[in-house]
Amino acid sequence: MKALRFIFYILLVVMMPVVFYMALVWVPPAMGLGDASRILYFHVPVAWSSVLAFLAAGYYSVRYLTKEDYRYELYAWNAAFTGLVYSTLTVVTGSIWAHISWNIWWNWDPRETSAVILLLIYIAYISLYSSLKERPGRGKISAVYLIIAAVVMPFLVFIIPRIYWSLHPDMIFNTKNKFDMESSMRITLFTSMGVFTLLYFFIINLMNRAAVLEKKIQEKIHDN
Amino acid sequence: MDNLLIHAENVSARFGNVTVFKNISFRLETGSSMAITGPNGSGKSTLLQIVAGLQRTVSGTVTRRVNDAEITVENFSAHAGYTGPLVNPYDMLTAAENLAFTIKDSAAKERVIHLLDYFDLYKERNKIVKHFSSGMKQRLKLIHAFINDPVIIMLDEPGSNLDSTGKDKLFAKIEELKAGRIVIIASNEQDEINLCGERVELGKQNI
Amino acid sequence: MENRIYKHLKKDILVEFRNRSAVNISFAFAGITTIAVSLASGGIRLDANIQSILFWIIIFFSGMSGLAHTFIREEEERTALFLAIHSIPEEVYISKLLFNLVFFIFIALVVSPLYIFFMHAIPVHFTHFCLTVLFGSIAIASVSTILGAIVSKAENRGTLFTVISFPLMLPVLWIAIMNTTASLEPGAAPGFQSILFLLAFSGVIISASYLSFKFIWME
Repeated sequence: MKALRFIFYILLVVMMPVVFYMALVWVPPAMGLGDASRILYFHVPVAWSSVLAFLAAGYYSVRYLTKEDYRYELYAWNAAFTGLVYSTLTVVTGSIWAHISWNIWWNWDPRETSAVILLLIYIAYISLYSSLKERPGRGKISAVYLIIAAVVMPFLVFIIPRIYWSLHPDMIFNTKNKFDMESSMRITLFTSMGVFTLLYFFIINLMNRAAVLEKKIQEKIHDN
Repeated sequence: MDNLLIHAENVSARFGNVTVFKNISFRLETGSSMAITGPNGSGKSTLLQIVAGLQRTVSGTVTRRVNDAEITVENFSAHAGYTGPLVNPYDMLTAAENLAFTIKDSAAKERVIHLLDYFDLYKERNKIVKHFSSGMKQRLKLIHAFINDPVIIMLDEPGSNLDSTGKDKLFAKIEELKAGRIVIIASNEQDEINLCGERVELGKQNI
Repeated sequence: MENRIYKHLKKDILVEFRNRSAVNISFAFAGITTIAVSLASGGIRLDANIQSILFWIIIFFSGMSGLAHTFIREEEERTALFLAIHSIPEEVYISKLLFNLVFFIFIALVVSPLYIFFMHAIPVHFTHFCLTVLFGSIAIASVSTILGAIVSKAENRGTLFTVISFPLMLPVLWIAIMNTTASLEPGAAPGFQSILFLLAFSGVIISASYLSFKFIWME
């Protein structure tokens, strides 16, 4: 376990600068958009991480309801908190990019809207969690909220943008080649996404371990 | 006679970070009765609710069995009767409407009439509960606890707000029901504690 | 089970109507906001999409004031434990859902004619308009039933309910607004695809709620 974690850290420490080099120096700027278009290599991975956070929060919530292990309650909260940070970053970087390419900061495009809704769901979860203070069912009740939110998400992310026309380029499931990407851009984007995924797991893992330790220390203090 | 078991092992409760009680264990079988005692805030009601399965977040385990079948949330009201200060019938319904809501089988109708009569509420059965006095309300709560002929009876301060006739009737009822059932009472009243064979005292341990 | 649900509904209806204030306030709220919006717009002929936005905002806030009430009442009048002891979680959920569905369809029945009358919003595609209102209301009622159960256990219920329900109701509002706009425009040819969307949404939410309700109800 320890060795595995070590390899993981090395990979992250080596690959992160590589991604920065690729995104900022190696890859040519997108046509007509200039160097500013390089924000793409951070916007997409950050958006991806906010979805990862949502999946993680949902997974931990289901685990909490089925296993009743107190640690999953802490994990789900951590995942939601990272989700809040990541989706804020997504909205901010997306808005910058929208300004660069369409010369408008915000236009309620279905993709933008779904990013904002994800952000609102995280805010709602955290408000709910804090107003359930002192309730024994706190973890379970907020876990149910996340599960209901997870059930709503596919409607937002997959169905609505397909019913309604969107300005946003479909990056990954690109079948009609709406957005022409050179292979170097594609390689950079996927490397960046991979490394940001590693970074996400690194962060959530660290937070989870810290939360469990903190809880144990608190219990020790109150028991003595 | 039913083969009953309530077995609590190392049950603890905490509110936030404050430990209320720790490592409570007991074992009750058919025909036994137990009193939970302790000063205010020592967790009597909490322990009773945990034993009843109405609060699930605990450390430790509680086994509730009727003839080798587990008592769960689903079949709770068929086997167990529970009442306490936090169990309030609907204020805007009459006593009869409240009882009609909680009754499980139609055969129990006669039992309800008998209970209403026994606790002197028969004449008031069509009055809205909101207009009841606290003593009448307490008697209605007790009827609700006995309504489905439970084999496990859990009462939290059953004598509160009752006058001496009400108490005498309640105690006679408990004495009558003790045989073949399990009775648990959470209380600080000496006469209620004396009804029970065994006792658990909370608030005496180092918290 | 059916018999039990009937008992639950009878109890809820009796309690609500003897209490009357909550139900009255919800209906008064719906009526008054409709009239207030129409007064404020002062008889200006609004575009179809603005009219449908206003229409659904009124419906949304009418729902906010009434739909969480069925669960909040149990907590506020301290009858939740009584209810929990004498019933199983699933029958509580189903009866509350049915109660909310019927209640909210009535609210929509009050708002829609008032709105059409005061705002001169004549639905050209009448069937389409009615179906959108009906299934939109069903979708909103099914989301807010489970969220009402969640919020009833928390502090600051009223404001929190709006915060937690808005993001989850947005898909419904979004589709319903687009649909209503289409039904108000003579040139539009509204499809039934989006009504299916509302129906699928309600179905998925109700199933997820049915399965997870017991975790909220028995803390």
